[in-house]
Amino acid sequence: MKAVGARLPRYDGVGHVTGQTTYVDDFRVHGMLWAKALRSPVHHAAITKLDTSRAEAVPGVHAVVTHTDVPQLEYGHLSGLGIPADEPLLAKDEVRYMGQPIALVAAEDLEAATAGVAAIEIEYEERPTLWDVREAFDSDAAVVHRWGNWYPHFEDEMDRRQIRKGDIQKAFEDADHIIQGVYRPAAIEHVPMETQVSMVVPESDGRLTIHSCTQAMYFSLGVISAHLQVPLNKLKIVGGTVGGGFGGKVDTASETITALAAMKAGRPVKWRWTREEEFLASSTRAPWHMEIIDAVTSDGWILGRKMLTLHDSGAYARFSPYGLTKHSFHHTGAYTIPHLHFDGYVVFTNRVPTTAMRGFGVTSVSFAVETHMSRIVDELGLDPYEFRLKNANRIHDTSPNRISYTDPSTVDVLQSIAGATGHDLAPAYAAATREPREGEWLPDHLVDQISTEGH
Amino acid sequence: MNITVNGDELEVRSPGLTSLLRVLRDELDVVGPKAGCEAGGCGACTVLVDGAPRRSCLTAVAAIDGAEVTTVEGLGAADDLSPVQQAFVHYYAAQCGFCTPGMVVAATHYLDSGGSDDRKEIQEALRGHVCRCTGYVKIIEAVAAARGGNFDLTTTAEGGYTTVMTGDAK
Repeated sequence: MKAVGARLPRYDGVGHVTGQTTYVDDFRVHGMLWAKALRSPVHHAAITKLDTSRAEAVPGVHAVVTHTDVPQLEYGHLSGLGIPADEPLLAKDEVRYMGQPIALVAAEDLEAATAGVAAIEIEYEERPTLWDVREAFDSDAAVVHRWGNWYPHFEDEMDRRQIRKGDIQKAFEDADHIIQGVYRPAAIEHVPMETQVSMVVPESDGRLTIHSCTQAMYFSLGVISAHLQVPLNKLKIVGGTVGGGFGGKVDTASETITALAAMKAGRPVKWRWTREEEFLASSTRAPWHMEIIDAVTSDGWILGRKMLTLHDSGAYARFSPYGLTKHSFHHTGAYTIPHLHFDGYVVFTNRVPTTAMRGFGVTSVSFAVETHMSRIVDELGLDPYEFRLKNANRIHDTSPNRISYTDPSTVDVLQSIAGATGHDLAPAYAAATREPREGEWLPDHLVDQISTEGH
Repeated sequence: MNITVNGDELEVRSPGLTSLLRVLRDELDVVGPKAGCEAGGCGACTVLVDGAPRRSCLTAVAAIDGAEVTTVEGLGAADDLSPVQQAFVHYYAAQCGFCTPGMVVAATHYLDSGGSDDRKEIQEALRGHVCRCTGYVKIIEAVAAARGGNFDLTTTAEGGYTTVMTGDAK
């Protein structure tokens, strides 16, 4: 237990402050080529012409890779979980977000690579776009994905993540007040100080050494192996030093395409995104549209919740079905609501694909739930702490997906905040604990949701 | 052209309009200064040119022919950390570390120019240096402590302590 309570120095602190820590862009190898991408300049279009022959003839250019070079063009980030793929590694006959990679040019230096990109002949036929998740449900909305405007492959081919618990109709019949709100947090760019970068070295033994800034090395290995149809034992990934990620380096953004170019050129290739590319084409935290309608009693019990969530996945699915699933499990926040009716959709738009960022799927719902709790407090004139303490998760309460809580800390946290902010709690609330409900803490409507069965 | 980098006088062969950052990283293999934006917006490439902090990504190398350039590598080494470097380690002011080379150079210049341990003045001095991990509080604490030189280089763990520089538990 020497580490507990001790002030231990970071193992990499001295390297950081002396400039000795080696990030991917700090590696140089003999014969290394620089890569530059052709990215879509439009948000949604058919590609009607793609000819790289002039680019290949540019002096200094060693390889131009496009969709025709990819052994398995589509592989989903969640294919390992049986979720179908929808995203090509390099765009083939259409582009569905601005900045989508179409080709990568590897050349002696960045100037030659840039000249190569400029020499690619490409033509687009623009298509209608969709920007807002809510508008995806309008009857005149543009259809922007071959699966339709929302993801249709949840279990049993359902088109939504659905949760039903208790008797929602009875909850609304018994309620004194119906309180609703709509919550729409915006996209957030991670802005890691280190932009996306990878360097791939073809080794003399036939292996590829992949220097990556990924947050998820083994995950990336699987993705690279699948796209390239190269067995795992031919891939060596070197990572560990990430110049900021925050979830934005979980997606395998550059490594696979860099590897493809290195294989084709037979030379090491480095692909480093500019800051402009990072803002344009790297994934972001998703925008969300969340509607909550609660059935509430005058004395501050939440009997039921109807919720609709639209998660903006951007142009492709990536991890969004997973993020929305986490979101659905947390849609009551730190509180227990016995009767639930939740529908969540992963909606496609022409935005850059969205991904994890610090609490994937859950920060959005926490924002919505806590704001909604405050809305109820304001509308009914309740005490903000006591209303939350009343509905707070207790041992043996169950989550929306019927997990029995074994050690929820909501009560303790609320009491601590009340204490720290000088908010006086009525004696019953000051004495509340996380222990299983009984007496006044166990009204009739909360009896049936209780479970002592483990996870 | 010639520039002196961390005490070594070096010949530069890159074209004169090449940025100092590209010369340092790609020609001279001095990779401490980082390319965060290459547009003067993030501060990660900051070096001292004749003692003054400069965004190396915005500095054409021809404009500083003959100058003395100091990068983070020139401020101290693992076994000989400067006070600012020691404080950055001790106060956990570096997390991912990518902004740190610029932060350390700017903080060193601030203190060497007589900057105080006033939090607001430190904040002003580091304006334009972007960090996405630590939230700046620890960085400002570290610079203030380096000014005062009053930070404790040892820490207590069950009656012992751990050295900052080597991580040895005593």
